[in-house]
Amino acid sequence: MEGLFFNVNGGYVEGIVRGYRNSLLSGQNYSNLAQCETIDDVKLQLAPAYGDFLASLPPNPSTSDLAGRMTDKLVSEFRYLIAQATGSSAKFLEYMTYGYMIDNIALLITGTLHERDTRELLERCHPLGWFETLPVLCVATNIEELYNSVLIETPLAAYFKDSLSHQDLDELNIEIVRNTLYKNYLEDFYNFINTHPDFSGTPTQDIMAEILQFEADRRSINITLNSFGTELSKLERRKLYPEFGKLYPEGSLMLSRAEDVEGVALAVSAVADYKAFFDSVGLSQGGGMGGMGGGPADGKSLEDLFYQKEMDMSKLVFTRQFTPAVVYAWMKLKEQEIRNVTWISECIAQNQKERIGNFISVF
Amino acid sequence: MSGAVGREAVFPTRQSLGLMKSKLKGAEIGHSLLKRKSEALTKRFREITRRIDEAKQKMGRVMQIAAFSLAEVSYAVGGDIGYQIQESAKQARFRVRAKHENVSGVFLPQFESYTQEGVNDFGLTGLGKGGQQIQRCRETYARAVETLVELASLQTAFLILDEVIKVVNRRVNAIEHVIIPRTENTIKYINSELDELDREEFYRLKKVSNKKQRDVAAADAEILAAREKAAAQQATNPEKNSTVQVEEETTDVLGEQEDNDVIF
Amino acid sequence: MAASAATYKDRQFLAVIGDEDSVTGLLLAGIGHVTEPPGSQRNFLVVDSKTETSEIERAFQNFTQERKDIAVLLINQHVAERIRHSVDAFTEPFPAVLEIPSKDHPYDPEKDSVLKRVRRLFGE
Repeated sequence: MEGLFFNVNGGYVEGIVRGYRNSLLSGQNYSNLAQCETIDDVKLQLAPAYGDFLASLPPNPSTSDLAGRMTDKLVSEFRYLIAQATGSSAKFLEYMTYGYMIDNIALLITGTLHERDTRELLERCHPLGWFETLPVLCVATNIEELYNSVLIETPLAAYFKDSLSHQDLDELNIEIVRNTLYKNYLEDFYNFINTHPDFSGTPTQDIMAEILQFEADRRSINITLNSFGTELSKLERRKLYPEFGKLYPEGSLMLSRAEDVEGVALAVSAVADYKAFFDSVGLSQGGGMGGMGGGPADGKSLEDLFYQKEMDMSKLVFTRQFTPAVVYAWMKLKEQEIRNVTWISECIAQNQKERIGNFISVF
Repeated sequence: MSGAVGREAVFPTRQSLGLMKSKLKGAEIGHSLLKRKSEALTKRFREITRRIDEAKQKMGRVMQIAAFSLAEVSYAVGGDIGYQIQESAKQARFRVRAKHENVSGVFLPQFESYTQEGVNDFGLTGLGKGGQQIQRCRETYARAVETLVELASLQTAFLILDEVIKVVNRRVNAIEHVIIPRTENTIKYINSELDELDREEFYRLKKVSNKKQRDVAAADAEILAAREKAAAQQATNPEKNSTVQVEEETTDVLGEQEDNDVIF
Repeated sequence: MAASAATYKDRQFLAVIGDEDSVTGLLLAGIGHVTEPPGSQRNFLVVDSKTETSEIERAFQNFTQERKDIAVLLINQHVAERIRHSVDAFTEPFPAVLEIPSKDHPYDPEKDSVLKRVRRLFGE
């Protein structure tokens, strides 16, 4: 029944996204790309999908320029979508941009803390995390002003309000700030799709709940793994775990107590998927820090496996209908595609062809 | 050649001849020592230049691997971490200290890298994702920087040695082409002056002895005449005989001294 | 030569002038240092296509002449190209100026100031 009226508001957006999905690079494209000898060849291979955006690049562009143009295309397509979306779909798409906003704000906080000219930072901000009042934040010259303007001007106020004070911004490591915000964001997003009347009980809720749970778990695991050997205490670490997901609550409790990689492997062993990841990279056998992430020899690192899983989930989303979640899935796929192309061209530019196959292609 | 070198302004005395001779000897020893030093340094220098060449090639490879590991990071993080890294740098963890090595009296600095314990500006970078790649990248870059530091010490040694070898060679050449010829010239000059003086002295003495001989002959003749006169007078006045005897003795003494001088 | 011992005793930092990727990587290795405020100075400079040559020049002079705590200056070769005359003119042993390759510009031994001297000495 939920599909009955969906197309009245969201049909156009969904249709467009499905069209965009078809322009994603396929396995065939990737194998062509991997054969390229120069960046110009790569550019040529990408021409069908990215034509206009790559046309203005100089011959043999740097990989970062290439990635920049590809991101431009993603951004312009997304902006078109968000302009077309209405009602709850528009709200959903906005939620998607908050993650990028967090990165931008973290950037500005860093700049302000070190008394740099934050105006210069604006061009470094991720265009998807751009919002109209972002330049206003540059007016702030100290961290307290910045904190107040963030509270007033940005959609992220809610994430700051309860968990961070302006002293925290000054004292805490920016990474902790960023991860606290991200945790709040994920929880809020999760709450949004579960409780919003337009979404609860629809495919959107099913899909997004799963994806967000995965995202939350991935963050928890990564934070735990990366915090070993740093000054981050277990108590602080605990605060950064999103409070939902397949690992929550027992798994995250165990994660918060984990002291080494084996502890993490034990904590996630309740969830079959994650256990399989850890098994395949050999962490559960006690590889220690040295084996963390897997050496280049055995190909995939834990990070790669997570990305792979994310892509598989995103791909499956396209089997569902009547939901703006396809936009989310498309965006993730597109981002992975940009990463893949960057990787391939990086390999070509630096003559490291033997590892060129280390990308993730799902189509 | 010798005209341009000239000689030192000394009085041509036997004392300065001794001085010059010891100076020449010193210069010759110094020359051979410096020559050996220069050879040792040059040997070292050639070795260093060869190693620089090798190290520069190695650096190319190492830096490429390092750059690639950075590419892995940007793949894993999916974004730009450059700015954040630049801003969070506070205390150098990777530092160098210089110690020196003694090559034939030249101190060549050598940089030695060490890690400042307890300084970790980027411990939390990539906490959310990509932390493992960042960790690996840090290790790769740390190894690359070690190579760079090694190369830097070689290069500094190269520059210093280059300078020192130039100085030493200049000294060797100065001794060889200026100091030694000039000292030799001076010795030659002193010798010739001394010879000249000797000859003059000889001539003078000859002259003197000639004169003396003539005087003696004249005196003898006088005495002879006097004796004859005395003999003639003795016949008339025998008392005066004793005084003539005394005069004869003094002239004899003078004549003996003359002879000694000539022999000497 | 004993006099020079004093000049390198306090030198313990590395400095870098280079493109963003090189600087980021080297900072990750832990060479970054910011002196105590006030007047805090960084020991690295990021050069991109918009950076003025005069700014590179200033940083180069600062790292080589003014600061006495820098032992090694790393500079990307393509950046060194832009201020080649200064790099060539700098012949002091301290700090050691080292030209390094960057991601997009592979190393070319022909342009290196020091290698040029090596070659010249051997008459190649």
